[in-house]
Amino acid sequence: MNGTILDLFLFVVLPYAATAIFFIGTIRRYRTQPFSYSSLSSQFLENKKHFWGLVPFHYGLIVILTGHLIGFLVPRSVIWWNRVPARLYILEISALIFGLLTVIGLIQIIYRRLSSGRVLVVTSTMDWVLYILLLIQVVLGLYTALAYPWGSTWFAALAAPYLWSLCKFSPDVSFVAPLPWMFKAHIVGAYALVAIFPFTRLVHLLVYPLPYVWRKPQVVRWYSRPEGIR
Amino acid sequence: MAATRRLGTGWTGLGVWIALLGLGIIGPGAAWGQDAATDFRNNCMSCHTIGGGRLVGPDLKGVTSRQDRAWLLKFITDPKAMIDSGDPEAQKLLKESGGVIMPTLPLGKARIEALIDLLESESKLERSKFAGQVVSNRPLGPEDIAAGERIFTGRQALSAGGAACYSCHTVQGVGGLGGGALGPDLTKVFERLGGRKGLTAWLGSPATATMQAAFGTHPLEQGEIESLVAYFQSQTQLAETPQPRQLFLGLGLAGACFALWGLNSLWKRRLGGVRRAMVQKAAIKG
Repeated sequence: MNGTILDLFLFVVLPYAATAIFFIGTIRRYRTQPFSYSSLSSQFLENKKHFWGLVPFHYGLIVILTGHLIGFLVPRSVIWWNRVPARLYILEISALIFGLLTVIGLIQIIYRRLSSGRVLVVTSTMDWVLYILLLIQVVLGLYTALAYPWGSTWFAALAAPYLWSLCKFSPDVSFVAPLPWMFKAHIVGAYALVAIFPFTRLVHLLVYPLPYVWRKPQVVRWYSRPEGIR
Repeated sequence: MAATRRLGTGWTGLGVWIALLGLGIIGPGAAWGQDAATDFRNNCMSCHTIGGGRLVGPDLKGVTSRQDRAWLLKFITDPKAMIDSGDPEAQKLLKESGGVIMPTLPLGKARIEALIDLLESESKLERSKFAGQVVSNRPLGPEDIAAGERIFTGRQALSAGGAACYSCHTVQGVGGLGGGALGPDLTKVFERLGGRKGLTAWLGSPATATMQAAFGTHPLEQGEIESLVAYFQSQTQLAETPQPRQLFLGLGLAGACFALWGLNSLWKRRLGGVRRAMVQKAAIKG
């Protein structure tokens, strides 16, 4: 398994290709369609199911992605933190909670898109591609967390050195080649998301509206007046 | 016209970029082109010696005169297939190693041939450099067991900076939620790997690709290995039962439900709050 052709394709060629597509695609889209850099909110089309999808999904995903980023940037700190089993458990349970929030939110988002006619109409093919890929990715992540604990440490010990080897243009697949295929599929899913990033609503990440984190909820527009209210 | 030209340049650039990367990168990190001695050290030494006696697997001194070369090549290429085929010699080896199946090595035919050549040449020496390390006979006591447990759970950091065993392995009864499950349960590893000598050799030069990746640049020190061996020896009488994960999942689900309740409470006035207040304000004025 140490460096089969398939491993080299999936964990060396694919990440560089995905990164190249990401940069070329995002720059090109920004130059040709600058006003498409948005998630194209559909809140004003349907507001009740929206909350139970968007809020848990985004807060869950932000924490999970931050956790992955910390594991990549400062792996030694994660290994240090996890040296005490109680601290390891706190970290893993917290990550699992936010992972579950992400998948619950995403399922609700997909259900809302399917069940609300107005929202369904404005849902593009690329939206569906993105939702399906995201769902697969989040489920694979949860499966990895549950089937192969404790991922926070072994991510820092195995996946982080692999990712750093890519950044240093000296890729070493021996860190990930022996890992279970479900986790390898999770890595491949991440590269697929990076590759389709410029062609989807994910571009809104690059114009991240920071005040969303702390601002009060705001109603963009009501599409009808509830009965009995002036 | 300009847009078409830009698109063409972009895709050509992407192709060239990927091709250059592909040409420059495939290979350096992978273990291509290693010599037979390095292959033996990385893949065989954890379970075999050449003239140093039996570990988990047999002493390989003179193996090329005991076995047909074609048989050796076939066995090393895929040990499990040979065992499953019912080959009597492979069955005998399995029995002698206490049921431990030799892993399939990530080596091609040429490297396995080179390994067999190495076995032949090293067997002719009075003392091969692969005769194995001398394992201490020092009695292992409660202090070693306690130190081993601290190393296993990570309370005592590994001197070379490796991750704690606990991250990927479990031992019965350790910790509230148990150890990890990326690697096998180590409750009976002392027995499985042939006692002190076999386990010491294995920990000094792990045979699996995952362990090599994790500890290749963070090897265990001799003292740490002794402590771990003492700890695993003390655990070996316990039964290996699958670690229940329901508590972990249950805590996660409970936490997620609590978080959803919290989010709903935080934004309970989200529906109608703005509009209703504006209407009421207008009504008071009007």
